[in-house]
Amino acid sequence: MAGNKRIMKELAEVRTNPPPGCTVTLADENDMGTWDAVMDGPPDSPYTGGHYKIQITLPKEYPFKPPQLSFKTKIYHPNVSNDDRGAMCLGMLRPDEWKPPNKIADVLRLVRSVLAAPQPDDAVEQGIADQFKNDRKSFDKVAKEWVGRYAK
Amino acid sequence: MRRLEARRQMEEANFLSSKARSQNLNPPIDLRMLDYVTAYDDNLMCPICRCPFLDPVVLAECDHCFCRDCIRQTWASTYSPLGPRGDCPSCRTPAKLGPRSATSKILVNITDDLLVRCPKSEDGCKAQVKRGEVQDHVNIYCGYAYMECTADDCELHVLRKDAAEGCLHFGVSCLDCRQSMQKASLETHWRVQCPDRKVSCELCKEAVFNREWDTHSRETCPAISIPCPGKVFGCNSRSKRSQADVHAKSCTFAKLTPMLTAMQQRMDEQEAAQKVMVRKLEVLEGGFQAVQTILSTKQEDPDQVGADESRIPLLTGRPHQRGDSGGMLDAMVVETDVGAFVFPPPSSSSRPSSELVHVRAGASLPPLYSAPMAPGPRPADLPEPFTMDFDMASPFPPPAANGPYISPLHHLLSMHESLRDEMSRMSAALQELDGRQSMQALNENLRTREEISYMAAQVAGLSRQVHWLTSAQLQRQQHGGAGRQAAGAAGPSGSDIAGAGAGVEAAVSTAASALRGAARIVNAGQGMTMRRGLSEEGRTKL
Ligand SMILES: [Zn+2]
Ligand SMILES: [Zn+2]
Ligand SMILES: [Zn+2]
Ligand SMILES: [Zn+2]
Ligand SMILES: [Zn+2]
Ligand SMILES: [Zn+2]
Ligand SMILES: [Zn+2]
Repeated sequence: MAGNKRIMKELAEVRTNPPPGCTVTLADENDMGTWDAVMDGPPDSPYTGGHYKIQITLPKEYPFKPPQLSFKTKIYHPNVSNDDRGAMCLGMLRPDEWKPPNKIADVLRLVRSVLAAPQPDDAVEQGIADQFKNDRKSFDKVAKEWVGRYAK
Repeated sequence: MRRLEARRQMEEANFLSSKARSQNLNPPIDLRMLDYVTAYDDNLMCPICRCPFLDPVVLAECDHCFCRDCIRQTWASTYSPLGPRGDCPSCRTPAKLGPRSATSKILVNITDDLLVRCPKSEDGCKAQVKRGEVQDHVNIYCGYAYMECTADDCELHVLRKDAAEGCLHFGVSCLDCRQSMQKASLETHWRVQCPDRKVSCELCKEAVFNREWDTHSRETCPAISIPCPGKVFGCNSRSKRSQADVHAKSCTFAKLTPMLTAMQQRMDEQEAAQKVMVRKLEVLEGGFQAVQTILSTKQEDPDQVGADESRIPLLTGRPHQRGDSGGMLDAMVVETDVGAFVFPPPSSSSRPSSELVHVRAGASLPPLYSAPMAPGPRPADLPEPFTMDFDMASPFPPPAANGPYISPLHHLLSMHESLRDEMSRMSAALQELDGRQSMQALNENLRTREEISYMAAQVAGLSRQVHWLTSAQLQRQQHGGAGRQAAGAAGPSGSDIAGAGAGVEAAVSTAASALRGAARIVNAGQGMTMRRGLSEEGRTKL
């Protein structure tokens, strides 16, 4: 019960005052538990110009359990798994680190900052992380290529 | 005075019992679902449920404040018999909820004084009350909350505002839709359910059927302002539906809209098609790269192995060509030369044929062992046009397997082929050797037999002579002996001689049997001599 009211409030809040570069809609107007966010690639990053669809799944126990994020648009990024799930590894979203006061808008803001500044030491895709650390140029090149290929 | 007191008590009891009954009819309100009339200060908001605090508690350890229910629920998974405890949801300080955890009365008062709308506002109650009193409002005052029918014989419930009108639980039928129902529920029916009742639209002042209300408010109400059809392409003007056509006639965007939408649609289609193409291209590129990596490893290989690869078949080929074209003698010279790398040079040239066998057997091996160093020690032997990258134009036509190899596998196969050739040549040489040895043994054996039979003949002659001598002696003794027997005296000397004769005969026969044994041994030994290889004697005799 507490969850539902809170989700409604958060949704209204995020719709009237969305985090920069994001728009949020409900996947299904009758289901408050699944949100669709579209995030623009942050400027000054290789992802500029890309539009990323992110699905946010809120568990029944929200806000006591963390939401789950999955990139529906392919992205070349060390912190996003390069598979169908597109899972993003964010410390904040781990069950033991999640704090009920965190809001979805905060999560989206963090996602965008991670897009702008990848965290190779906390990577899901080790190969991409190594490339990011050792060969920034070719990393940027591939990331840009992927923007053109998948995220336009 | 006493009556007054009694009456007050009775009224209080009535009030309390009606309150209790009303509570059964109106379930407790979820205070988190309330609508607040005005915006409230964010500082009054619980960070977990994002509502103004309900029964707030302050964690003594870090001073963070939450609703009691919220913090209990957060800690529900970390149960402890010592009472609720866990990490503060805001700052992760380990904290616990003691029996005296509470907050200042002032915060409770502020949050309880926030104005909320009555939870029955959807049913028609316009009341705005303090949050702390909302439950009482519903239980006692709200006209849209239920209470028991005032009629004594009626057990049903009724909205509080209708209670004064007496029992309303009799059947009526709706004037508009003819549905029959109880009078008590007629008003609700009219307001929201009756499909045939007209309601008036607040915007256009038109009366609309209830059943058409949804479409009217969403689509057809002429007073609703709608955006220009060219909005997506840049026109920001909005106009009432009734005046939309007027605007559309003057708006360039609106005129262009059909064309632009068609173009947009085509672009989307093209984009989708292009995405498919890109996927395909990706797959093709991947395949192409795989092929390239396979090819490039192949090209690197010959550079490494190439030296051996092109040389080995070339050298295995060489003796053949020399042997075939240059004649036996030439072949021998070259082959001995090559053989010297592996075998000690043949000791002497006195037995040319057997030496040829040796060298031949050896000559086909060296290329395998000495291949890498072959070009070094004998550069003079190499013909002028010989180069590392041996090609078809060179005077030595390559043996079948020679030339640039298609793959390492072909190289291995050709090496295997040349090894097989070596093997067959060696086995031929071995057979030749074997035949030669058995011939030698046979010859030697024949000679031995001749000697033996010669010896046997001599022995036979000897034994004949001995026999003749003995018989002559015996005759002489018999003559002499008859004379002596006649004289009556048998001389011991006569028998002595006879004994000696028998002894000689025995000795001769012993010698003969010894000779026969020797012949047998020689016969049996033949087989062994054949296997034992060339004896020095046999070789010289050959
Ligand atoms: Zn709360
Ligand atoms: Zn705290
Ligand atoms: Zn009310
Ligand atoms: Zn009644
Ligand atoms: Zn009706
Ligand atoms: Zn209207
Ligand atoms: Zn317009």
